[in-house]
Amino acid sequence: MLSVSENFPEYAVPGAKQVRFEPYADNGGSIVAIAGDDYAVIGADTRLSTGFSIYTREQKKLFKLSEGTVLGATGCWCDTLTLTRLLQARMQMYEHEHNKSMSTPAVAQMLSTMLYYKRFFPYYVSNILAGLDAEGKGCVYSYDPIGHCERSNYRAGGSAGAQLQPLLDNQIGLKNMQNVTVAPIPREKALALLKDVFISAAERDIYTGDSIYILIITANGIQEEKFELRKD
Amino acid sequence: MSILAYNGGAVVAMRGQDCVAIATDKRFGIQAQTVSTNFPKVYRMGPTLFVGLPGLATDTQTVHQRLKFRMNLYELKENRVMRPKTFSAMLSNMLYEKRFGPYFIEPVIAGLDPYDNQPYVCNMDLIGCPNEPEDFVVSGTCSEQLYGMCEALWEPNLKPDELFETISQALVNAADRDAISGWGAVVYIIEKDKITEKHVKTRMD
Amino acid sequence: MALLDLCRLDEKINLKPVDTLASFQNDVLGYSQNFINSAQLAVPPFANPVETLAKFNSKDETGRDIKIEFDHGTTTLGFRYKGGVLLAVDSRATGGQFIGSQSMKKIVEINDYLLGTLAGGAADCVYWDRVLAKQCRLYELRNRERISVAAASKLMANMVYNYKGMGLSMGMMLAGFDKRGAQLYYVDSEGTRTPGKVFSVGSGSVYAFGVLDSGYKWDLTDLEAQELGRRAIYHATHRDAYSGGIIRVYHISDKGWVNISNEDCSDLHYKYQAEKGITEE
Repeated sequence: MLSVSENFPEYAVPGAKQVRFEPYADNGGSIVAIAGDDYAVIGADTRLSTGFSIYTREQKKLFKLSEGTVLGATGCWCDTLTLTRLLQARMQMYEHEHNKSMSTPAVAQMLSTMLYYKRFFPYYVSNILAGLDAEGKGCVYSYDPIGHCERSNYRAGGSAGAQLQPLLDNQIGLKNMQNVTVAPIPREKALALLKDVFISAAERDIYTGDSIYILIITANGIQEEKFELRKD
Repeated sequence: MSILAYNGGAVVAMRGQDCVAIATDKRFGIQAQTVSTNFPKVYRMGPTLFVGLPGLATDTQTVHQRLKFRMNLYELKENRVMRPKTFSAMLSNMLYEKRFGPYFIEPVIAGLDPYDNQPYVCNMDLIGCPNEPEDFVVSGTCSEQLYGMCEALWEPNLKPDELFETISQALVNAADRDAISGWGAVVYIIEKDKITEKHVKTRMD
Repeated sequence: MALLDLCRLDEKINLKPVDTLASFQNDVLGYSQNFINSAQLAVPPFANPVETLAKFNSKDETGRDIKIEFDHGTTTLGFRYKGGVLLAVDSRATGGQFIGSQSMKKIVEINDYLLGTLAGGAADCVYWDRVLAKQCRLYELRNRERISVAAASKLMANMVYNYKGMGLSMGMMLAGFDKRGAQLYYVDSEGTRTPGKVFSVGSGSVYAFGVLDSGYKWDLTDLEAQELGRRAIYHATHRDAYSGGIIRVYHISDKGWVNISNEDCSDLHYKYQAEKGITEE
């Protein structure tokens, strides 16, 4: 049956209107993280949007949690803010209690538990955690909204996650390549690849663009970098 | 689940230097269940003309048959082969006839013009809005993944063998991240006087 | 306030500012209660989370699709035979139709003699398995002996039963070796808990059962059992879109569990094809 209000909004007669509470917003954004032998790089675009309009072109979506751990989070920005503030508070409590900062795998597990706490009203956030583990090796953890967590060497998430992940599979995981051996990739190559994949994401995903904010985590600390993307 | 994703499947086409390529996966499924692993969604419609019809499998077959019918009529009446561009217009018209009860397919057309050998690729939405870009077109359940792959791998003026490598890597890696595409792939490389059909080994899960 | 008193609302809800929440630390704890008591999750600010969440899960205020897609999909199987218990699982995690991971660990090593398999919501299974692992360890410390599989499975069933009807989705097998020998239990989020000989759980279980039932007998040798489990999962990954990746096989005997093999589905497919004499496709 044809509904007047749905199909012909201009002919709809004002009358009883159902108001619904919509607690979630999708503010877009993509993250890519790559781990190597002694480093991890993580990049996120800096566009914060809602629907077809842009809130800001310079929103950093990476959170430095400690000297060796960075969290990238996109999705519902308000959930991201709450979650990261809580995470930072808990990490501070840990530091005061144990007199040392949390290792990346420990943060990873804690984040999973914190996400699962809100099982019945989840944080609408796509999280990727990058850093160095206890042995100094690079590691990347990716999450679903309710805290399923998996460690890997590379991962793409956020609004262009589905576009980027197969490319990383091919270029870093060397999937469907013949006569190759999987080896950890050098830092320069990882960085170049990260920029490349974001350029292609910005071409096709309207929620990704403006620039990328990149953090490179090594034993000597965290290095920052910025790279411009298309702004339309 | 969308009706377009009921059977699963993906098609991609790319332009190269004096050549075009079109590739398809071979899965036919009913939602999660893989029924057949030999159901390519690409059909040869002329000497250098191919069409891919991913979407609802029943409509894939119906549209293919109706296309063949209309094309035969054209060729009998005009006594010449159809240009890819004409074919696109015909298909677009045919789809728009069913504007309010469409066929659930999103076609991809690839071919060389039989008269001036210009490469041509085109895709459409399910009611026939054509899009004729200079680089590549994708369609099917893993179109997002395919866009990501193609956007990074494709470059202008690829030779036939480079084009084959590019298109098969794009399709296979994209389908590996989609639950309902894959289970084998076929790639057609279309050159002026040669059509190469290659079956690609893929993951079968 | 008078109306409030008249309705006796204050007896039902606590409207007074709680001063314990005033301190920073308690505020943080209030947002992560499950760190204190792992079985206590946040109460959603609405009734009936299954339906309400489904409503939230459609559009945001600009009309853009919101999709909260949890990782899902699985084929797992387990059976008891002469030589102990055998478990075999795939490793694919799918969110919607996107393959989120091809290398997920769907067998959780609870302790040296106890394994749990996961099917359904990945986060649900992993979280509750972790809670169970904690409970089992506490039991061991308190009672100076390992927990029986029956007791462990009952702990699990009781924990998730508290959340029945709220949308948890899990179907798991608990397998282990205790005083009573090799044990296999099926536990799910509806509260079912049942011992048995042969189980298969998940979206691909129908295909796995087809192979498993035709090849299963009590007197299987260890090698036969491993191959049966592996083949059953392989056939499920071939036919089921939401199963795939790596096939992991575990065996439990009186000496505890051993990880027998982790093989890529794709390699297995071409190996089995070659055995049949098919080289192309």
